[in-house]
Amino acid sequence: MGRDPLRYFRIEARELVDQISAGVLDLDQQPGPDLVARLLRFAHTLKGAARVVRQQEIADRAHAFEEVLVPHRQGTSVLPADEMRELLRLNDEIEAHVAALEPSSPGPADPRGTEPGPVDPAPPADDGADPARAAEPVMSEAAAKSPAHPEAGPAARGATADVDELLDAVGEAHTRFAPLRTGGHALDRLTRSAEALADQLRVGRAAAHTDAARAAAARLAADLAALGRRITDTVEQVERELDEVRGRAERLRLVSAASIFTALHRAVRDAADAQDKRVRFESRGGDLRLDPQVLNLAGNALLHVVRNAVVHGIETGEDRLAAGKPAEGSVLVEVERRGRSVAFRCADDGRGFDLAAVRRTAEARGLLTPGGTPPDEQTLLRLLLRGGISTSPTVTDVAGRGIGLDVARDVADQLGGEVSVRTDAGLGATVELVLPLTLMSLHGLIVEAAGAVATVPLDAVRTCVRLLPEQAATAAVTGKLAHDGQAVPFLPLARALYAGTTVPDGAGPAVAVIVAADGAAVAVGVDRLAGTSTLVVRPLPELAPAAAVVGGVSIDLDGNPRLVLDAQGLIAETARLGGGAEPAAPARALPILVVDDSLTTRMLERSILESAGYEVDLAASGEEGLELARSRRYGLYLTDIDMPGIDGFTFVAETRADPELAVVPAILVSSRASAEDRQRGAAVGASAYVVKGEFNQEELLAHIRKLAPA
Amino acid sequence: MSPTEVTDRLAALRDDFDRSFAEPARQHDAEHAELLAIRAGGRPYALRLAQARGVHSDRPVTPLPGPQPALLGVAGFTGAIVPVYDLAALLGHPLPERPRWLVLALGVPPLALAFHELDGHVRVAASLIVEEAGARAGRDVLRGMVALPGGTRPIVDLPSARAAVHQLTGHTTYNTEER
Repeated sequence: MGRDPLRYFRIEARELVDQISAGVLDLDQQPGPDLVARLLRFAHTLKGAARVVRQQEIADRAHAFEEVLVPHRQGTSVLPADEMRELLRLNDEIEAHVAALEPSSPGPADPRGTEPGPVDPAPPADDGADPARAAEPVMSEAAAKSPAHPEAGPAARGATADVDELLDAVGEAHTRFAPLRTGGHALDRLTRSAEALADQLRVGRAAAHTDAARAAAARLAADLAALGRRITDTVEQVERELDEVRGRAERLRLVSAASIFTALHRAVRDAADAQDKRVRFESRGGDLRLDPQVLNLAGNALLHVVRNAVVHGIETGEDRLAAGKPAEGSVLVEVERRGRSVAFRCADDGRGFDLAAVRRTAEARGLLTPGGTPPDEQTLLRLLLRGGISTSPTVTDVAGRGIGLDVARDVADQLGGEVSVRTDAGLGATVELVLPLTLMSLHGLIVEAAGAVATVPLDAVRTCVRLLPEQAATAAVTGKLAHDGQAVPFLPLARALYAGTTVPDGAGPAVAVIVAADGAAVAVGVDRLAGTSTLVVRPLPELAPAAAVVGGVSIDLDGNPRLVLDAQGLIAETARLGGGAEPAAPARALPILVVDDSLTTRMLERSILESAGYEVDLAASGEEGLELARSRRYGLYLTDIDMPGIDGFTFVAETRADPELAVVPAILVSSRASAEDRQRGAAVGASAYVVKGEFNQEELLAHIRKLAPA
Repeated sequence: MSPTEVTDRLAALRDDFDRSFAEPARQHDAEHAELLAIRAGGRPYALRLAQARGVHSDRPVTPLPGPQPALLGVAGFTGAIVPVYDLAALLGHPLPERPRWLVLALGVPPLALAFHELDGHVRVAASLIVEEAGARAGRDVLRGMVALPGGTRPIVDLPSARAAVHQLTGHTTYNTEER
């Protein structure tokens, strides 16, 4: 610390410079005493800190900055243009000086590290006057000195908050361990009880002793069960907390989209100033967390796109008024997640692309045949996007726009994304850059369905509704759920996750998660909600094509992949399945209950039935069979005869005696082949009798299909 | 045995033991091949260890709904997410039971093949392997046979299995030089 007196100043100064840079731009758009006061405070703090560490250059400029602002303390009007320019100039100089304080760490990528003094934070103007010059160096320079320096500045600040959150999560996980610690004492106590019980059993033979011992054993068992439950709960909670910790730690690798906005705002402001236009900058979607590399590249491309929107799109004040538009133009940059991609959209309300000029240029360059059929808008836009137009030295206006698109297209090519353009003559243009996401952080709702665990992005979840069993059954049959006065298409998640295969046993949907995207909504039926979690979503690996419901994968605490669902995909899948009645798939038929005390037979029968598409429940005894039969609706009982306790005949007779269960057909499967047994089977009400010795898969299935059509 | 003999014998054993770790496992001379005797879909096969990156058992595989019935799902391997294909399904005779063994194929992109049982690891003389010259057409993933105790087993060629998966998924960057 002693060796580097600037260590803390650098951090503080960087943070203040970021706040000043963003504040000055806000001042341009929304002047007000609060903002002026805030800026004065930042500048004053910076001046004081700079003096302490003898950075006179910075202190002087911070002072000058204050001097410009002081007269506007009470004001609500826009600052005169020359004063705004002066503030921005001082801002840039301070930024450059602060950057120059960095140890050589930024390396050659950051020219400010080696060259103190003011630098133009925006890329060189590709204002169309000399497009050939602008095309080449613009990209590399812009890439080298993106003024937002997303890795150093705003990201660093964002990271501080994230680290705090991470630490909170670590602390939370830590406190969750407390019950485990006290559990140790409880375990000691129980061990002592068990030893005492053992002693009792050794010495006592009398009835009194036996009773006492039995009571002690019962107590011990109860205590052990309670402790077991507590440990299970605790472990579950600790796991959830650790999951959160891991998610937050992974999030540190990502940067919020807002970190590119200041640079874009500044580029818009500078371009507008140079062109003597008034342009308002707006941004949306800054909360989205993205891979810094993707964000950096997109930010650089957008710098050109927004500049071009101002220079070539937005008209002068007089022209705008004449066209019946407000004098102030508007540039809106929006960042939005779309399933497995992120969309960066820049929309302006200017004059739109000059497609006639594009056509003339294309014809002049032999890309289109003059006098041929008039090309449609899409053809012209494709030509523009393909480049070739931009290099034209003659139609400068079009050329300038083309360069911005070239940069966007380069980025898209590099990352496997796409650029698209929409233009409305006289009303504005929208350039959209859609990039595939490699890593993305989101908050997810963890859901369970038929034993599978998946995550739904929380931003797509509108609400969750508890389903009564009848509601769930109705929703499953009709494919619709009444919610909020509307019939929302219903998709049991298990059906989407186990598409084409047998859905394993499960309680069935007990909760409907209402998921919305692009103005559509579906109710996704899940067995249970298992909390929320911060997670980092990765793309599916190559060689793993998946249904559209899967948006990506995250990695759980044990290092195993967990599916992250895609809202658009869920909606599309529901539409594909028709949202109508239950499909005829055997997987959706009522399950079959197999009762047999032999493990081998149970497994054999299950395998036969499951491969035929049935869902199967197993019971190892007649008692268990009855219990299951009463707890769930089955399509068929398949039971052995010889079992300890309740035998197969009794099982069939008892179920026939119960009016609710009597409707479920029962098949007896036994090694007994005598006529008497067959008769007895028929007498108790069995629908069929299959002899194990002649066990024939097809015969069994034929019986079953007759009784319980799949 | 005298104490010195015991000490010498111990030292020799230790050396052997240490050497067995120091030597690269996959290195084999031309006359021998390291094979795994496996069962996939109830049938016996062999595969060449030299074509594998690793063998794992009982690793959780997250099922993935999608268009490929042979794709069992994805599994995590030290932070990487790897698709797992059912070898028996690739060979055309899948079983309902989920296979519990995974073999990671060499090459990119990452790929694991799942099989049901591992019968053992054998080192066999090259003369016991019946080579088949050249690739057979289509999605044939078997190449050659080996005579082992208990019968002759077809050899699953992992690069061919990879090629089959690439073909199934329309993955085009496959480079035949990997074979």
